[in-house]
Amino acid sequence: MTSAAMAAADESGTGEHPAETGYYVYGVVRAGAGRVPADLVGVGGAQVRTVEHGAIAAVVAEVVLDRPPGRRQDLVAHSEVLDGLTATGVVVPVQFGSVLPSSESVVVDLLAPSADYFAALLDELEGRAQYNLRATYHESVVLAEVVEENADIAELRERTRAVPEESAYAERVRLGELVAQAMDDKRAWDAEALLEAVLPWVAGHALRTGGGLDHVLDVALLVDDDRRSDFEEALEALAESVHQRIRLRLVGPMAPYDFVGDS
Amino acid sequence: MTVQSQRRGGGYLERPAPSGLADVIEIILDKGIVIDAYVRVSLVGIELLTIDARIVIASVDTYLRFAEATNRLDLYEKGGKDLGEFMGDLQEGGAAKKTSGAVKGVKRAITGGGSDEDDDESRRPAKKAPARRRRTEDA
Repeated sequence: MTSAAMAAADESGTGEHPAETGYYVYGVVRAGAGRVPADLVGVGGAQVRTVEHGAIAAVVAEVVLDRPPGRRQDLVAHSEVLDGLTATGVVVPVQFGSVLPSSESVVVDLLAPSADYFAALLDELEGRAQYNLRATYHESVVLAEVVEENADIAELRERTRAVPEESAYAERVRLGELVAQAMDDKRAWDAEALLEAVLPWVAGHALRTGGGLDHVLDVALLVDDDRRSDFEEALEALAESVHQRIRLRLVGPMAPYDFVGDS
Repeated sequence: MTVQSQRRGGGYLERPAPSGLADVIEIILDKGIVIDAYVRVSLVGIELLTIDARIVIASVDTYLRFAEATNRLDLYEKGGKDLGEFMGDLQEGGAAKKTSGAVKGVKRAITGGGSDEDDDESRRPAKKAPARRRRTEDA
């Protein structure tokens, strides 16, 4: 469509012809009656349903394409649909904001070309759920370690503390850079040690990107349902043993967002 | 996220229910099956939203913040007894061997024990032997 044609469509569009809709895709599940909870509503309040293809089905809901951006509500709606599906069975999540033009397209472009892939993924994820583990430093404790362990940092710290802020800008940047390097080294060791302690309890893991001064480790963990309580106990013991230096935060169980890769 | 397990044990492990927008963004953004761009249609607002969420802070600002946090630190007052002992443990390697000192510190912190031995078994806080290890990766 040319921009002139689009402008014309916009002008004549309001209220006259029905709004253009698409199919928002939440995830892929096993086909079968009753797989989707009856009360599940998606982005924009639309009823969620399935589009089936053989043994698999896409979970979709109709959505108006040209609509005011919902932002927060859209993210929350997406997340709640996946939660609802996870509570009732295995689901392969589809990326937030994925919309296809028609239910035919859902079959032809999504399900049919990757039917075997989805079936295998559903088998692999059956009986498992994701947890997100985040480890962060107690900042003051670990910074104290850094100063104690690095003579050059301690010296630079004394020097920049003694002068007004604006007169030691370059030295303060240098200090921060050295501290950042020292923290990176610490982080590498601590993250490895934490992972080593956690991995025996999980069926898979995927590192997530994290940042910030206190960041140690962000990892998605895939946990077998029948090992869930053992896993949680192990994490509790780990949290207690590291608590003077490191905080552990565990979120889940949730849909296996980090274990579905690219199709 | 769907079902919150009960808090157990000593309560050192934080088990928050994701509630805020930041939590939800962090969990779902860029995650999941990606549908090819040439078959998808765009939904107003979604692209803007994903870009908003990827704002990165400039590195000099990060360094200054590190410096500021380090300078704010009062090693002598904040230290107290526990931290002082901890620092003593960590210092044993000396500046020349700071990495091995840090590793020992980590291992000790993780095992929760005060002993110095390098027994591999002591590294695992877990009570049971690992029955299955990274099954999906082995498969």
